Parts: sequence; C-alpha cells; structure tokens
Amino acid sequence: MNKLMYVGNPDLRNVDGIEKVTGEARYVGDMSVPGMLVAKALRSPLPHARITALDVSPALSVPGVVSAITHMDFVDHGNFGWPTKDAYILAYRKVRHVGEPVAVVAAETELAAEAGLAAIIVAYDALPVVSSAAQALDPGAPLVPEVSPTGEGNLCVRHIVRNSDPGPLLNNAPAVLDATYTMPHQEHAYLETEGALAIPEPDGGVTVYANNQSPHINRDTTAQVLGLPPEGVRVIQPPVGGAFGGKDDVVYQTSAQVAKLALLTGRPVRLLLTRAESMAASYKRQAAQIHLTLGAEANGTLRAARAELLIDNGAYAAATPLASWRATVHAAGAYRYQAVHVDTRAVYTNNGYSGAFRGFGNVQAAAAVELAIDELAERLGRDPLAFRLQNCLRPGDHTMTGAELDESVGLAACLEWVRDRSNWTDKRAEYATQPTGVERRRGIGVACYFHGTGLGGEGVDYATATLKVEADHSITLTSGLTDFGQGSRTVFTLLAAEVLGVAMERIRVLRPDTQTALESGPTVASRASLVGGNAVRLTAAKLMQTLELAAADLLGCTREHLVRDGERFIGPDEEPVTFDDVVDHAQALGLQLSAQGRWQIPHIEWDFEHGMGIPYATYVFGAQVAEVEVDLHSGRTRVQKIWAAHDAGTILFPKGALGQMYGGIAQGLGYALMEGFAFENGIPQALDFDRYRIPRATDVPEIEGTYIQTVYPHGPYGAKNLAEPVMVGTAPAIANAYSQAIGRRVRSFPLNSGRTP
Amino acid sequence: MRLTFTLNGEDIAVDDVSEDMLLIDLLREKLGLMGTKRGCESGTCGVCSVLVDDRLTRACRTPAAKVMGRTVTTIEGLRGPDGTLSDLQASFLARGAVQCGYCTPAMVIAAEALLRRTPRPTRAQIRAGISSVLCRCTGYQQIVDAIELVAEQRAANREGLR
Repeated sequence: MNKLMYVGNPDLRNVDGIEKVTGEARYVGDMSVPGMLVAKALRSPLPHARITALDVSPALSVPGVVSAITHMDFVDHGNFGWPTKDAYILAYRKVRHVGEPVAVVAAETELAAEAGLAAIIVAYDALPVVSSAAQALDPGAPLVPEVSPTGEGNLCVRHIVRNSDPGPLLNNAPAVLDATYTMPHQEHAYLETEGALAIPEPDGGVTVYANNQSPHINRDTTAQVLGLPPEGVRVIQPPVGGAFGGKDDVVYQTSAQVAKLALLTGRPVRLLLTRAESMAASYKRQAAQIHLTLGAEANGTLRAARAELLIDNGAYAAATPLASWRATVHAAGAYRYQAVHVDTRAVYTNNGYSGAFRGFGNVQAAAAVELAIDELAERLGRDPLAFRLQNCLRPGDHTMTGAELDESVGLAACLEWVRDRSNWTDKRAEYATQPTGVERRRGIGVACYFHGTGLGGEGVDYATATLKVEADHSITLTSGLTDFGQGSRTVFTLLAAEVLGVAMERIRVLRPDTQTALESGPTVASRASLVGGNAVRLTAAKLMQTLELAAADLLGCTREHLVRDGERFIGPDEEPVTFDDVVDHAQALGLQLSAQGRWQIPHIEWDFEHGMGIPYATYVFGAQVAEVEVDLHSGRTRVQKIWAAHDAGTILFPKGALGQMYGGIAQGLGYALMEGFAFENGIPQALDFDRYRIPRATDVPEIEGTYIQTVYPHGPYGAKNLAEPVMVGTAPAIANAYSQAIGRRVRSFPLNSGRTP
Repeated sequence: MRLTFTLNGEDIAVDDVSEDMLLIDLLREKLGLMGTKRGCESGTCGVCSVLVDDRLTRACRTPAAKVMGRTVTTIEGLRGPDGTLSDLQASFLARGAVQCGYCTPAMVIAAEALLRRTPRPTRAQIRAGISSVLCRCTGYQQIVDAIELVAEQRAANREGLR
C-alpha cells in the first residue's frame, strides 16, 4: 500500500470547523422562517398522576394561539419507543415523571403560547410515587407502566450472563470481596437544548429540522404517529450542539409534536426547550446499584465473579433495555475469570426516565467493578495497578462472557503506559505514608476497562454511504450516520479522500437528510468510524474502480499499471492526466460516477435467554490514572492530573480522537465529583446549571493522553472505536485516588456531595 | 428608545428598543447575529458571551440599553474585513478545539477578552479566563492549547515590531 495521506495525519482539521469558529453554523435555534409559529409544551409538575381532565379548547380562544394538541391528535395516542413501545408523544391517561409533555400549543409569539398553556384545563389525581429501584420491586408497589412488559410489575427487563458456575469457586476462595456500589443518574447537559422546526409540504407531507442523533429513526417514529408513510416525513439534521446519546427519544417527541402542528396549521412551527425543560424532560444516565462478589487466590489470581445489578430506568424504558444489557456483559470488568454470573434487573420508577448516555451502562458497571478490584487488591496487600496487570485480558484470553480474544488487545500496554507516565510506583508509595495530621491529602488511583465495539447483540450493525462526482468535479458524500460534534464528518471525508486519492477539500459531506442519505440504523454505540467508516471506504473503492477504468482508457493501459501522483493519474507511457480529465473522460464513456456501499459488522450471536454467546465482534481497551488532592476540612477534592491510554486500533483523525478522550474524561470527572442528578420522591432536585454543576475549565486538570495503536483487521485501516469508552475509566480512577487520599474506601458518587469525608 | 452604539467596528442606531430588551435578543432577534448562542436562562453557561468595551459580558444578563454609546464585539466581528479568520479562530481550528461548536463563539470571545487583559497568561490563567463559559465536549484541553499558542504568537509579533 502507498503511504497514507490522511489516515492518522496529525494536521487534519475538522471539516466543519470554519463555520463553527466563525459563528456561521446555523443550529435549529438559529433557524427561523417567515410565518413560523412558536410552540410551547405544557409539562407535568407531578411525578405520578392520573390525568382526570384535559381540555385544550380554551387555549384556542387566547389571542395569538393558532393550534393546540394532545395525545388524541396522534395515531394510537402517539405510542412509540424502541425496543419497548411504552412511551407517548404526549402523555396518555397518566403522567409518570416530572416534565412529561401533556399538551403543546402553537402561537404567533412566545407570550401568546405561554398564555395558551395557562388557559389549558388540566387536572391530575396524584398517584403514589415509586421513588427508588428497590421500592419498585416491592410486591405492593404502585405500578408505573400501564402494562408491564415482563408481566412482573415494575420489572422492565432482565438480563443474565451464565459462564460456568462461580458458586464453588467463590465459596472457598482465599480472598473474597462482597460489596455494593451505588451510581447516580447523570444529565447529558449538552449546551444546546433539544429543538425541532417543522415545515408543512404541498404534498401533505412534512419536513422536520431536528437536532436528533438518528434522523431515519426520527422519520419512522414521526411518520408512524402521524399516520403517514415514511416518505411523508423528511428529517434533516442541522449542526447539533452536543448529544452524548441524549438526543434521540426526547427529540423524536419534540419532532412529532411540531410536525403535527405544522400539518394542522399549514405553517412552519418551531419548539425549543428551555434549559429547565430540558433537564426535567430529557432522559438521563440510569442510576444503578451494583452488588459484586469477587474471589481470588492468595497469590492474587482472580477466580470468579458474581454481579447483581439493579437499574433505575425511570418512567419509560427508552434505550435502557439495551444499555442494561451492555452493563450486564461488562459487569465483571476486563479480567480473566474461570466463572462469572450476572443478574440484571431494570425497573420502572417515577425518577424521570433514563436512556442512552455515552458509555451506555458500562460507565456504571466499570465504576463498580474498578472500585471493587481496588478493594480486593488492598485486602490482598497488593499494588492495585500490578494486581490489574496480573489479571487483565491479553490476546488469547477469554472475556467474562467466555468469548475468546484473538487480536487487537492492548490493555496491558495501556496499563503500563499510564503507570510509567504518571510515576505511579513512587507516588503511590509517597501518598501511602502521609502524616495523619495533614489536612490536604494526596492520592493516586487507577482504573482499566474494556468496551464492546458497536451494537453487538443489541441489533444488526450496518451502515450505508453514497458518493457522487458532481458537474464541477467536486464529490458529494452521504452517510446515514451523523455528526453531533464527535467528528464523524471529518472521518468520513478523510477515508473517502484516502481511497480516492483526492484532496479532502474536493469532498463535501451533505447535511444528514433522510431524502438523500440511506438508512444506516442509529448513530450510537461509537460506531460511526468503524461501521460508517467501512461503508464509506467500500463506497469509495467502488467509485475508484470506475475512475480507474476511465483513467486506464484515457492513458491506454490497464488499471493495474496506473500510478498516482497526488490527484493525477499516470500510465506507463503517456503524460499524467488530472483528476478532472479522468472524470470528463468517464462521462464521455457514459460511465456513471456515483456509488453506494454498505458494511455490516462480522456476525456475532448472543443468547439472551441463556446468557451465553459472543456479545461483540471485538473490544476496545483502556486505562487511566488520576491524582487528586482532598482538603479534609472542606471536603473539596481537586483532580491534579489524569493520564489516559486507550486502544482503539488505528487512529484515523488524531486531533479529533484526542478531543474525544479529553472530553470524555471531563464528563467522567463530573460524574465522579459533582454531578449526580438527584430525585427526591420523584422530584428532580436541579433544573439549572447553578445547582447541577458540570465541570468548568478550572475543574478539569491537564490530561496526558495517548492511543495505543493495535490493528483491528476488519476496521477501516485497522480502526476500532473510541467516543464512549474513553470516559469509562475516569470516575473510578478518581474515586480510587480519593480513597487512598482519605484512607477509606468509597462506594458511591458524587464524591463532592457537600459531606466532609 | 433609539439605541446607538458601535457593533463590530461599525456605528449603528437601532430604533424601538424597549427598556426590558436583553442584549442577546437585540443581537439575535433584531440584528440577526446568530453566532451568540442561548444555553440557559440563569446566566450560568456563558455561551452568550460578547465583549462590551473589551469586557467579557453575558448578553443574556445585560439589558440592551446598557450598551448605549459603547463598543460591542461578537464572534461575527472578529474576522478580518476580507473574511480571514482571526488568529484565535485559526488556532481553535488548528488545535482541534472545536467539536459541536455551540460554545465555540463564546470561547473565542472569552479568549480574546483574556488576551487583551493578560497578554501572556499561564495555562492556569487561561483556564480561569475561560471558566465562565461551559463546554461539554472538549474537556477544555485543546482550547487551552489554542489560546496559549496565540498568546505566544502575539508576543512574538510584538517583539518583532520593537
């Protein structure tokens, strides 16, 4: 293979960067069109209540109000949701969490819309609140769903892993750790709140501009609740101001609401959530209680693990059935065991609702097991990093589900890198001997992780791309997978440019649009670079073949004899020809200069009923070390520095990959130290950034990060994935450092909860 | 009221500005400058930050009337007359400091305010200087890198002029 031009080039820039640094990017909240109506939602103030009266007709008499809708305006009351169809576009019969939308008004102005909301007649009959996952399982607990999807009350879903029998191995193990860890909810806190703008079309259809992650799923959901065929709804994604897993279900709701109002009024309608609405109405990372039993030999070799996970998915399932499965198959961590059993239950409560959030269940699972591994190492008198190196997964090992790892396993190298860069051994020893009287105490901690690539057993994992040479010799690219800041548009561009041997500037990625891009499943699971990237690579290879046929014809040689010099094609005899010459010649030959390609992840199989199989085609790995200082008097913890190493295969877009790492670490730091989205009896305790603090520049330390480059043979140029897993190790590394600093183990987040340690 | 002030280097007059109009509404709704974003209603996130007489100012907390006779700079005002990027804009792009882009205009503005006040900041001072603007994507590191680089460039340019 020729030397790569773009893959791994450290100078590559984000292809959307100029419009963003200049402020020219138009997010949905920056879009307005003539005649546009403003929509506002009436939201439930109660966590659980029966709706005893709902009449929007008084709103229609308010000057400026044009239309108002409820569940009655949608097919099947707007019932939607995947994989569990338990949610509504607007509340039906009951409200099940604070902030749930009940009715939406469209008006000429925001003030008129507010007045319209105030005029709506609504009455609630409060129901008993299910305020914790433990309470949800009480036989006498109030039922949150109208129909239990499992037939077992508030139980939403159950998942298991059955890999041999850990019982006997744990019973007589020389060292056993048995502990329960409590992980809180987390708010995505993307800086752009959810929003959608719908424009009715002359053919009876509707176009929706929405800041969603997965436009095709939005199209299908919206079309279904409107009673339109899928092609009756066109969804376009403008630039998105952050998502992190959080802009799917809640944006589908918003999109369907404005689409209905646009069809009813014949006018464009826009709805933007306020920050307080966003915090109340959007789904969260699931809270989880994780009970772990780990057993080891006296020499530190891990034997077996048992895990029981109780997950609070709130009022609606959203993506929790999938995220709780990911938590299940990662619950014992990235270690060798002889036997592992996991039992997971996700339950309905009235604590908001939970769904997809970067890490997707593994943030909670890895945090618990990494705190537990540290505790076990301490009991055995072992250095926690050496203990991990003794037990961590290496090539040829079997994972906790029994799947064999054959290639691309860089975990030990990640651990060694963070150990050496952080000066681990000296610092760990120094901080172990701090005098007891010192008020400001230091600690250093480590965590490592694995993270299954792509959707795995969650579903068919494919993506599709198209490329087309335009009349001006530029190339347009579409992908069904989208970019909400993570850099996939840049990755797709560089991959196409690499295969085609053209300047990146020649390629333009179209805005995601269900009318031009082909369906590719949801943009989730950090799968854009791997799955979407492979689709682009294959599509480019197809287009390249056509171009080479034309070039060979033009140069009077065979394809095999062609050589490239930059964009130019050179044959054995003739003068070089330009890319434009080749395009023109292809057209003269009547060749079609467009291509589409599809790629699907290699076959895997998970038996959900028996808890066995191969959950993922491959894994990514990583390790992080955090150094903290804790002020025992104030309880304030500062992270001094973080070292991070991650094995994501080949790195395609280095600056983007590092940006993902730094950003993921900041979110993990927030989860460990300050976030923790709390509910009291179903009432959210923070609806603004004053009370729900996310890390500022002064809260995040300098980060020294690297990518340990292995090669995944099925990935584009050997790449795996990284956007989610880079945050998985941060919170437990910080908590383990905190534990060393204060000389006591912690088993819950957030650490800076106002209590003194 | 009729409001006169300097916006991005141009003296302008805006009629029918009500007493309670906020600067963010003046910029976005009346003047169509969409680079200044909305992120919260509590003045906490900072993505609406602009410069008022070189001072970093939250447009969502500032009555429009307050800028009478003063100089306001938004992200739209940082580009050169020929459309070239400012040194900070170019540096953000080159250092990978841009992800979703929603906080980026305010971050660039905060950096500009910082460097006008503190031409050679330490990395800790850079962090303090941009701490009023939240970013959920980048973990701030490449933003700090980008600002540090421009501080060095500007210092070198000043040396060169001497």
